[in-house]
Amino acid sequence: MGGQVSKIMGKIFGSREMRLLMLGLDAAGKTTILYKLKLNSDVTTIPTVGFNVETVTYKNVKFNVWDVGGQDKIRPLWRHYFSGTQGLIFVIDSNDRSRIDEARQELHRIILDREMKEALLLVFANKQDIPGAMKPQEVQERLKLDQLKDKIWYVVPSCATTGEGLFEGLGWLSNNVKTQPQRQMK
Amino acid sequence: MTSVLSYRPSTSSTGNINAPLNRQTSLSSFPSTRTASSPSMRSNGTPNNNVPPLPRRGSVSSSSRAPSTPSSSSTRQTRQQIGISKPTRRLKSQYPANSTERHVEYILVASFHVDRGPIMEHQYPGAISGDENMLAELMLPDQVHNRKEDWTIFFLHKDTSEEVDMTEADGTDSKIDAQGDGGNGVTNGSTSEEDEIDGPKLEKEGNDHEDDEGGEGPPLIYVLNLVNTKHDASVKRGAVVKAMAICTRHPFLHIYKPLLLLALEEYFKSPYPETLESLYEAVNSMDLSLMPRLTMLERHILLASDAKDLFVEKFDELIQQRMAEEANNNSVSSPNSPSKGSADIVGHRPRYSVPRDTHEFESKVIYNQIPVPIKVPTGICPETIGDFSFIKLIQTFSAPHAASPQPFALHPHLTTSGAYTHPVIVLINALLTQKRVIFLGHNRPSGEVAEAVLAACALASGSVLRGFTRHAFPYTDLTKIDDLLNVPGFIAGVTNPTFANHQEWWDLLCDVPTGRMKISSRIEQPMITDGMLYFQQQNPGYAPNINGIGGNATSLAANGDAAGDAAFMESINLSIASRHGESAIRSKWRDYILKFTRVAAAFEESVYGASALYIGAAEADAGSHGVHGHGYVWPDDATKARELGANVWRIEGWRNTRSYYAFIQDLAAAWERKPIRSLDLAHQHDRLRLLKLSHEDSGAIYVALSASVKTYDEICQLLCVTPESNAGLFYISLGLFHPNSKVRASTVDLLERIMGHDAGRHFWAQLGRFAKLAFLRAKRESAKGNDEGDSPTENGLGLSMDARVRAGMARNS
Repeated sequence: MGGQVSKIMGKIFGSREMRLLMLGLDAAGKTTILYKLKLNSDVTTIPTVGFNVETVTYKNVKFNVWDVGGQDKIRPLWRHYFSGTQGLIFVIDSNDRSRIDEARQELHRIILDREMKEALLLVFANKQDIPGAMKPQEVQERLKLDQLKDKIWYVVPSCATTGEGLFEGLGWLSNNVKTQPQRQMK
Repeated sequence: MTSVLSYRPSTSSTGNINAPLNRQTSLSSFPSTRTASSPSMRSNGTPNNNVPPLPRRGSVSSSSRAPSTPSSSSTRQTRQQIGISKPTRRLKSQYPANSTERHVEYILVASFHVDRGPIMEHQYPGAISGDENMLAELMLPDQVHNRKEDWTIFFLHKDTSEEVDMTEADGTDSKIDAQGDGGNGVTNGSTSEEDEIDGPKLEKEGNDHEDDEGGEGPPLIYVLNLVNTKHDASVKRGAVVKAMAICTRHPFLHIYKPLLLLALEEYFKSPYPETLESLYEAVNSMDLSLMPRLTMLERHILLASDAKDLFVEKFDELIQQRMAEEANNNSVSSPNSPSKGSADIVGHRPRYSVPRDTHEFESKVIYNQIPVPIKVPTGICPETIGDFSFIKLIQTFSAPHAASPQPFALHPHLTTSGAYTHPVIVLINALLTQKRVIFLGHNRPSGEVAEAVLAACALASGSVLRGFTRHAFPYTDLTKIDDLLNVPGFIAGVTNPTFANHQEWWDLLCDVPTGRMKISSRIEQPMITDGMLYFQQQNPGYAPNINGIGGNATSLAANGDAAGDAAFMESINLSIASRHGESAIRSKWRDYILKFTRVAAAFEESVYGASALYIGAAEADAGSHGVHGHGYVWPDDATKARELGANVWRIEGWRNTRSYYAFIQDLAAAWERKPIRSLDLAHQHDRLRLLKLSHEDSGAIYVALSASVKTYDEICQLLCVTPESNAGLFYISLGLFHPNSKVRASTVDLLERIMGHDAGRHFWAQLGRFAKLAFLRAKRESAKGNDEGDSPTENGLGLSMDARVRAGMARNS
């Protein structure tokens, strides 16, 4: 009942839902970003066993954000989260130059999946607070985003612990999402 | 249960288990690993070794728990005179002390590595074969980083091929695969029919298990797993996540919970294999050798009864055997060496005492100098694994439905009472018709969904059907999804809500936190079957329609609950509300499933002309004891047609499932061992219970029962039909009021035999005072009739019976 009312309200006042999937190599800062968005506080996270999922409301948009563990062995599971995803948030540890190529391979593998064809791509160049971190331009080049055809993408410099860049990214997603998202069966 | 035991491979030597070889040796003479003085109970392998029974009375009354019979000697006398021939085979332990089979086969430790994900750290006594990564993944459930502690349960399937081909002896076959692993685990799932067909064959090979139910194929290994997350600022990324698991073939794996708690804590302090070893040694030194083995009938009686001293005689007999053997073994012995017949033996040797409640056997495990008390269930139904609650499961899905019912999408097999079918009935229908069922518990401990899965298996089984736990995945996650989808009709527990988004993965989704169920929009629609068409021709008025509502629209309007499911759920919820307890609910479910099978048998006979769901129909109908008929009893044909009509879809959906074929096999195996075959006891008892019979008809039933129920096992069979939940002996006792004196005398005979029966005396004690007085009256009357030229022993017996009857009444009032 309550759900129905809020759905009707949503229709009237234009609130929307958007399903996001947040991926990235292990220790990139995905869970910290999630809880900074959700709770606006800097929580100390530990490695994610499996996944986290939270709903974040920003500017009338309900973001249903899935954060999936990034250890190399569990990356094959990412594909199960693809279907119905409208936006992919890919988190980069801008300070980890040694693994940026690994990150690029994973990213391209995800983006080429048929089920992710429609999804927007937002890259958080995270950990900008650390001196010597790669700048967004460098991240964009190292990830070879220019090679992605027919893909709407955007790189935002971010710092999960301070929250810098996070809502800018969400704003970009909500502005670029196709007007009528396919409704997920709940 | 015991057939399971004989196939338990020994793991005493190495980690690489070589089952075929070890099975051969395990039946012969592995030296005892526990009590050296213990007698060899296994060596006399044949069922009918005629070891004379040891004195078994007397000490029962001398033990702390006196039986309700005032004079045990008179019971024995009665038994001899009335001729209850109790089988004279030697009583065996469920877990003989000298068995080479271990309680626990493996101890595992896994951890979540910050760079590599789940890894296996240690395995004891050796590496379990199969995919170790996959095991580690199962041991570290999703989102455990958010909680301090979590329990999971999962099963390992042993490859079946070696069980089929006994000659193959190479180690590759004894590979153990976890459920859903890419290889054999899945093969196991998809070729289940084969492995279940092999069951009886296996059983014949394990020749001393005449009492057992049909083989379930090779036993599963049950894994109980505890995982802890400890925050620790000094380590990389701030936390350590470790899990420890116990792998056992005991379905009562919950008994190990306190030990795992202690051992995992210990492992955080000293993360070495020695920690695993000490736990392994401790759990395997648990002594269950004084837990008697019960026959299938005895188990049913025990589980259907709340009497705390039911079959206490058997526990006592084992103690007597043990003491006699110890006396033989060390005749030069301690001052309080037991001597036969000594009145208070039990008092002198407190370590041998009968349990306070015979439903549980009490033992203990000493781990790190801490004695941990353990209670092991004496009788275990098939498909009952671990510790779960029907009440909890039913309440979870009943409460939201009661508060605000939501319509289901219609499916003929599932929504048997329309869109507002009770969710628990939808669940049962889904399990019976072998749908893919997922329990989802997002943000809940994985132990909670595991419990729900295990409860659902037992619910659908009712300890009548099987084939559910074998395809159950109490906890699983996304890593196993591809293999899971290869298993038809799985029952799985997950905590990851992404499963809800994949409607192609399941047929019925049960959301534990909200208590709601959802039928998948992608579920396959069933075909119209021959049985349904035949039924439609026979009973056009009661045939179901295609929309999946039981009965057509008009009959549905006339009686919305033709299958009786709504009324049944109401009575279940009432029972729960009045706190009747878990065992009462379980026996109601058992009755429900039993009824379903009997209705299905009647349906098959009606549309196909014959049914494999009832064996011996011809014998029962021949009427060798003057009464005939078999199967479920309806008051009239219209009621029968309506009930069958309401059940057509789900019966047709049940046919061709694993549980259906397994049930047919079990019936065939049980038929072989059935003491009474020419009489359908349940049918005749139902006639007494449900129908208005003429004096002549009812009299014939009493006479037939009295004529056919004589031996110990025959009485067991009758008592299985008359549990407390089915009015106990009440309808039998009505024979005492029959106008015909011969019928009354037959009933007296029958009740006397029941009274002298180990379990029967408890049923007698439950009977009301009114019936007991009638018994005395009828007893006197028949004694008077016999007096002309009869022997004094009969009178003596009569007197002792009277004394017992009075004692029973005193207890009752």
